[in-house]
Amino acid sequence: MLKRFPSAATTPSKLLLRRYIFTSDHKMIGIQYFFLSLAAVLVGTWLSLLMRIHLVWPHGRIPLVGEIKPENYLGLLTMHGTLMVFFVLSTVPQNGFGTYFLPLQLGASEMAFPRLNMAGFWTALASFFVLLAAFFVPGGASIAGWTQYAPLSAIRAAGPGQGIGTDLWLVSIGLFCLSSVMSAINFVTTTVKQRTPGMRWMRMPLPCWSWFVTAILSLLAFSVLLAALILLLLDRNAGTNFFVPAGLIVSGQAVNHSGGSPLLWQHLFWFFGHPEVYIAILPAMGITSHLLSVFSRKPVFGYRAMVGATIAIGALGFMVWGHHMFVSGMNPYEGFAFSTLTTAIAVPSAIKVFNWLGTIYGGKLQFSTPMLFSIGFVSLFIAGGLTGPFLAQPSLDMYLHDTYFVVAHFHLIMAMAGIFAVFSATYFWFPKMFGRMMSERLGAIHFWFTLAGAYAIFMPMHLLGVAGHPRRYSELTGVQYVAAMAPLQKFITFAAVITICGQLVFLFNLFWSMFRGRRAEANPWVCTTLEWTLPSPTPAAGFAGRVPVVNRGPYEYSVPGSTADFVAQDAPATQEG
Amino acid sequence: MPIISEHVHVERKPKLGGGGPGKIPHKRGYGGGDDGDHDRSKDFSSRKERLRRYRIGILLCIISVSTLFICLTLAYVFRQNLGTWDPIHRQWIRDWRALTLPYRQLWINTLILLLSSFTLEMARRKMAHQAEFAALGIVPIKGRAEVPWLGLTVLLGFGFLAGQVVVWNGFRSQGLFLHNNPSSSFFFILTGMHAIHLTGGLLALLYAAGGRLLKLRFDSQILAVDATASYWHFMGGLWLYIFGLLYFLKG
Ligand code: HEM
Ligand SMILES: [Cu+2]
Repeated sequence: MLKRFPSAATTPSKLLLRRYIFTSDHKMIGIQYFFLSLAAVLVGTWLSLLMRIHLVWPHGRIPLVGEIKPENYLGLLTMHGTLMVFFVLSTVPQNGFGTYFLPLQLGASEMAFPRLNMAGFWTALASFFVLLAAFFVPGGASIAGWTQYAPLSAIRAAGPGQGIGTDLWLVSIGLFCLSSVMSAINFVTTTVKQRTPGMRWMRMPLPCWSWFVTAILSLLAFSVLLAALILLLLDRNAGTNFFVPAGLIVSGQAVNHSGGSPLLWQHLFWFFGHPEVYIAILPAMGITSHLLSVFSRKPVFGYRAMVGATIAIGALGFMVWGHHMFVSGMNPYEGFAFSTLTTAIAVPSAIKVFNWLGTIYGGKLQFSTPMLFSIGFVSLFIAGGLTGPFLAQPSLDMYLHDTYFVVAHFHLIMAMAGIFAVFSATYFWFPKMFGRMMSERLGAIHFWFTLAGAYAIFMPMHLLGVAGHPRRYSELTGVQYVAAMAPLQKFITFAAVITICGQLVFLFNLFWSMFRGRRAEANPWVCTTLEWTLPSPTPAAGFAGRVPVVNRGPYEYSVPGSTADFVAQDAPATQEG
Repeated sequence: MPIISEHVHVERKPKLGGGGPGKIPHKRGYGGGDDGDHDRSKDFSSRKERLRRYRIGILLCIISVSTLFICLTLAYVFRQNLGTWDPIHRQWIRDWRALTLPYRQLWINTLILLLSSFTLEMARRKMAHQAEFAALGIVPIKGRAEVPWLGLTVLLGFGFLAGQVVVWNGFRSQGLFLHNNPSSSFFFILTGMHAIHLTGGLLALLYAAGGRLLKLRFDSQILAVDATASYWHFMGGLWLYIFGLLYFLKG
């Protein structure tokens, strides 16, 4: 019935350049995204290190960098946030691992549109370089933060970095929007059309579900952001009036704008921005659900509920953007509506947490490195998630908004949890991607170090926030109540420096294992999903003309009556199956 | 269609400008052309499969563009009702000045665009027929006069863009530029963004129309025309929407 077609496409190109660089092979592109994000995370982390040092020693001289001036601090802040949010958390969980593993988990050998895939990557790369170029132009990088609030972002005279630096920021993120839309189109089409026979919707592994829902969010959210960016670029360069009100005096000069509204920017930005935080975290959630099941040797607890919660989070995510704007002078009734909807989104999030715990409860837990990081993800997600409902109360947020409390909230739930999922995915899929295993011993050291570090850095920030320490200030030494918090800030900086140094263990492990690690067999973690039916590393031709037929769900671990403790998705059907 | 799939042997005969509707091995690297799963690609039904895939891609593209324009619409409505605080007279003044649109030219452009949708649809149908005949091994008679629907569409597309340029120049000669008033800003932004998106479709059509020169497979040519057709019709609908917005919400 299913014929095997010898395919010309299965012979890899002999040109190395075509094979590794200008390639439309989804596996190579996934790896390219992986290294793009690695570069971004290295730069972003370096910037955060500089910021932490500056916060504690505002006038200290740092070797090679010199003294960080207040405006430089804001530039670092902007670039740190932008790199981490866009080029790390929205790139590697979705476009890195997704591009590589979505087709394979679905039983396809390519994405739906390989060349579009390639175009998406190259656009993202261009966007990355445009962003970094801002460091080298007169005035330096933009100082308006990753949210680019107008009027600060709309007026060139508003500060150093608000000239070319901000234009570059806007162009860069505009390119990033295009890239994300391209890849979203590919992800959705691939999921709809490329599933192998038998891969019904409800047999898809959970990472595929979250890549799919995330792609839909990307498609919509980045289109919104693009519209906003175009308007802002025109305000800055063509003299239009969308975001700047009349009568402003900036840097001693009357501003030649009138009639616009900064609120318009905030609405457009957060209508993108809130879905964006879910774009960052949904793939991480999918990966975690997957790994918890694999390493508990148990089916995912409540697969249907997980799928439902993923979709619910995606849908609700578009209705809560106002919770970032409680202090913008919005109508209290509006604030109430946003507050209620925001609290509602905690429900599917809680369902997920409950199901993760249900998955590991009573399982035969194997504490491999990917499993450790997945448990770490759950822990951090809970720790960061608990503060969300507090922030969602307008009356509390009035006080906590723009303090370190918010910094703690989103670093734990988004930054740290997201990075933990990326680490777990790296340790987990490394054998499939590079054909070798990463060191488990170094992995465990890396995990405990990073877990302790994450809590040491971000937990105290809650206290800073409750004590009223505002965020986004370069230096507050003259302010008495803030000065009293200096010891805590110092502690955080020490914790940050140590934790960041600890990441060298990971880098070493990554590169050393790539060349020297133990060779991996096809299915080292004894998993059920289709990517593990291929040899490690994945051959260039993927399934090479073979059409895998899926007969069962993705999480058949410890099936009663089966000899092995897992049944692969393409194992022959049984009577009940 | 069972009849088509039985005539596998015809696929090797070169016909209709490039290779027939069969599948040609990828020239570049592995991963190949934009048609994903290699396994089923030799199958005769693969053209239908590819077509469906492209249609989904285009649908998603349309959703993305629609989202962009919905946002611009929201900004339009929001900005229209926004005022400026006049500190001297202590009152809000609305700074939105309604535009007088050059209706004659705009209607001409609209007609051109709608007509191009019609010609493109004709081109698409003609090519679909040719493909079916080709699959049966029937080659169209050489030298028979045919309406060059695709070429006409491209011409009309350029005609529409030229018409839009006339409209923009009209505004500019009245001293109305992008920055004069929010109403003129939005006029230029909405029509400009539409023109940019339309140009994308036009490039795709040029690509398909130049199929013979580019040694495009007939197969890919049909695909390009089919996928672009839905996009093009959407561009027509979008234009009507923009025109309606500018007309009914003049402010
Ligand atoms: C449990 C559900 C959640 C609730 C109720 C919630 C609530 C909130 C609220 C009200 C704020 C605004 C605080 C302020 O600026 O004053 C906020 C900020 C933020 N949240 Fe959440 N959140 C939740 C989950 C998440 C998740 C899952 C992520 C990301 C993965 C996330 C990422 C962020 C970020 C990045 C910000 C700060 C943005 C900025 O101002 O730069 N939150 N959250
Ligand atoms: Cu939010």
